[in-house]
Amino acid sequence: MTRTRAPRELRTIGLIGSLAFAFPGLYLIWRNFTSGADPLGLLFDTQTLEPFWRTVRLAVLVSASAAALGTALAWCTTRTDLSFRRLWRVILPIPLVFPTFIGAAAFIRTLNPGGLANDVLGAIGINETPELRGLLGAWLVLTLFCYPYVYLPVAARLRQLPGSFEQSALILGDTAAQAFRRVVLRQISGSLTAGTLLVFLYTISDFGAVQLMRYDTLTRAIESNYLARPPMAFALSLILLIFAGLVVLAERAVNRRLPEVTSRRISQPVIYALGRWKAAATLLVGGTLLFGVIAPSAALIDWAADGLLRTQRGGRPLTINFSKVVEAATNTLTSSVITGLVALLAVAPIAFLVGRYRDRIGHVAHSIVIATFAVPGILIALSLRFWTLKSGFFGDLLYNSMALLIFAYVVRFGSLAMGTALVAVKTVPDGLHDAASTLGADRWRRFRSVDLPVMRPGLLAAAGLVILSTMKELPISLIIAPIGFPTLTTRIFGSFEDAFVAEAGIMAVVLVCASALLSWFLVLRRADHL
Amino acid sequence: MTSSAARGVRVEDLEHSYGQEPVLHGVSIDVSPGESIALLGPSGCGKTTLLRLIAGLESPSSGSITIGEDLVAGETWVPPDRRRVGMVFQDWALFPHLSVAKNVSYGISKSTSKDTEVSAALEMMNLAGLEDRMPATLSGGQQQRVALARALAPRPGVLLLDEPFSNLDTSLRIEVRTEVRELLADLGITSIFVTHDQDEAFIVGDRVAVMRNGQIVQTDSPQGLYHHPVDQWTAEFVGTVSLLKGEAASGFANCSLGSVAIDPQLNGSVDVLIRPEQLSITAGGDGEVQSVEYYGHDSMIFVALGDDQIRVRCGPLVKFNRGDQVQLQFTSDQALAFRSD
Repeated sequence: MTRTRAPRELRTIGLIGSLAFAFPGLYLIWRNFTSGADPLGLLFDTQTLEPFWRTVRLAVLVSASAAALGTALAWCTTRTDLSFRRLWRVILPIPLVFPTFIGAAAFIRTLNPGGLANDVLGAIGINETPELRGLLGAWLVLTLFCYPYVYLPVAARLRQLPGSFEQSALILGDTAAQAFRRVVLRQISGSLTAGTLLVFLYTISDFGAVQLMRYDTLTRAIESNYLARPPMAFALSLILLIFAGLVVLAERAVNRRLPEVTSRRISQPVIYALGRWKAAATLLVGGTLLFGVIAPSAALIDWAADGLLRTQRGGRPLTINFSKVVEAATNTLTSSVITGLVALLAVAPIAFLVGRYRDRIGHVAHSIVIATFAVPGILIALSLRFWTLKSGFFGDLLYNSMALLIFAYVVRFGSLAMGTALVAVKTVPDGLHDAASTLGADRWRRFRSVDLPVMRPGLLAAAGLVILSTMKELPISLIIAPIGFPTLTTRIFGSFEDAFVAEAGIMAVVLVCASALLSWFLVLRRADHL
Repeated sequence: MTSSAARGVRVEDLEHSYGQEPVLHGVSIDVSPGESIALLGPSGCGKTTLLRLIAGLESPSSGSITIGEDLVAGETWVPPDRRRVGMVFQDWALFPHLSVAKNVSYGISKSTSKDTEVSAALEMMNLAGLEDRMPATLSGGQQQRVALARALAPRPGVLLLDEPFSNLDTSLRIEVRTEVRELLADLGITSIFVTHDQDEAFIVGDRVAVMRNGQIVQTDSPQGLYHHPVDQWTAEFVGTVSLLKGEAASGFANCSLGSVAIDPQLNGSVDVLIRPEQLSITAGGDGEVQSVEYYGHDSMIFVALGDDQIRVRCGPLVKFNRGDQVQLQFTSDQALAFRSD
């Protein structure tokens, strides 16, 4: 069928929008070669290579353990006779709601003197509480809070997979392990690599957890250099940017070679009897929940309750300043809701160009926005911070402004809204437009009475995803947020230096609860029905 | 509910292509006000495209379309929302987010009588009581009626229907098409309707336009089409025929059935086309029964006669079995015949 051409205004808006998305990354590259330093020399300096290798080491370790843990949990809860499978399926994605730096802070604080775990261990006679620091600490925390990125898609895929595949393999003489390796693994490999890519990208871009665990990766080195030695920070950023880009390209190349997947669910899935392995499987699921859900939740609640209980515990009384909590929560709420709406406005024209008009400019713009997915937040923050310092009038206007913060958030998370918005646009069948036309509706009425109502749930979900991510964002908020505009994340993070003030504990609980609520509506509730 | 004045549709020399692919070539058709026309053809013949061009959902490469007195495509262009044609889509395209009443009122302009007009349209289609239901909760037949009510509610001068019954199961389809034919006749509305089903075209169409490869090959009444098709392809498309090779001379063709009356203007080698109901069958003869298909209300007997296979329609009582020897007799005045190349 022929399609009407995209209106010129829409193409212009889409093009401008995508250029804005590309800007921070391009500016970073440009500055590398104009900052007067010798970027190629710095690239091979030990000061840049060492953090790079630490980043690689951490990312490989976390990806491998998250992939193994996520797949094992998914298999146990969908393919075995493990007890309470349905309950585990609901609980296992929960670690996703903890921002990793809050998870890290919870672990560190609970093991410190005055923390819950420290008290408990002390009570049973262990006074030498283990310290969680460096590679081990970062690896443990990131694995515990990132495995759901693998668990969710793999479990969804396993539930779709026709049981007849495995039944055929078993009838042809495979053991359960052989059937898994030869049949199941091939069928889940797409979801597995996609999930692992998310973990890998998240790990190399993570700033909060490695900072708290004092493990010097690229992001931490960038943060500690950007004020004193900008050329060094730029060189480190370039490495991180190139690395992230290469990882995404590698995943694309691998995924293209994977076998076609079948998703017709015709027969019942195979359920394996665990037998003597039941205890081990229960231990795996239980242990994951203990360290990924129960321990951090308990530590946060203990931290939040600290101020109220301090006197009973024999400490000096604390006055809790609730207005600080309200202020940070309000700032987080306003900035993330505005970001969600702006991101939606920025990507919707591009989604229309691609989904409705199959426009060439639209496809280019779409690719640019999707590519920003790989750009770590700290690089966007750094780029925009230096741009405002350099660029005269506009820079002065935007420096330390809310507008710049929102722009940075939108560039960081617009790619999340892009996919969902595109799906929403495509949910409106062409036939509905034709029907509305023959009933006398002009272009504007068609948009208002057909497009908008049909797309609404999808568009709301797109904005919601952005709001959820913005709430939890740390490095951009730290570097770009205007002075006097504390958010929940910057306050909680800052409290690490202030010996964990009680307000920060309350803020952490508020943030995790808000994140849990939104996640439930947006991600988990749907993921379970996939 | 009364319809607004029915309008005629005149299509002249219409050409259309998707990219390099020509879809319609030199299509002309004249539909009188109040007439019902069926566009019949195999899939890919361009019949749906012709309908969409009349609706204004596509614009033609060349040629013109006139609805009533108004030129809508050609020298000028009128967009679909200002053509005042109603259309029923193959998948009905009901707005999923609107109730039945809101779907039906979508095309009615704001006025004080809007509510009564909606009720009248729903009443007419036996949909009273379903006003507040959402389309997804309706059965296929009900959805079909909502689609028709929605298209008719704004009182269009012309109604276009794109394979409107193809999404219904067989028994419902037969019931609904009879209803629709009566409704269209009562309303006296001009209607153009697309189908690939010959029965449907013959039942609903006052006239049938047969389309093939982007062209209209013949426009005629159902009887005219069946008895006087312009070529062999059309003859086969609008009904079953058996093809016999023959030699024609002075109004008769000599073929395996013997001498059969044909168009006296034909001479030399001809293809004689025999409809199954133009034959009678009796026991004993040089034909041999190959198989019998029993349909209940009637039956079809496949007979081998010389090198030909001939189909004969019989009543519901079949007296013959595979292997029986039979005699065939041509019982009609004249058989269809075309010069063979």
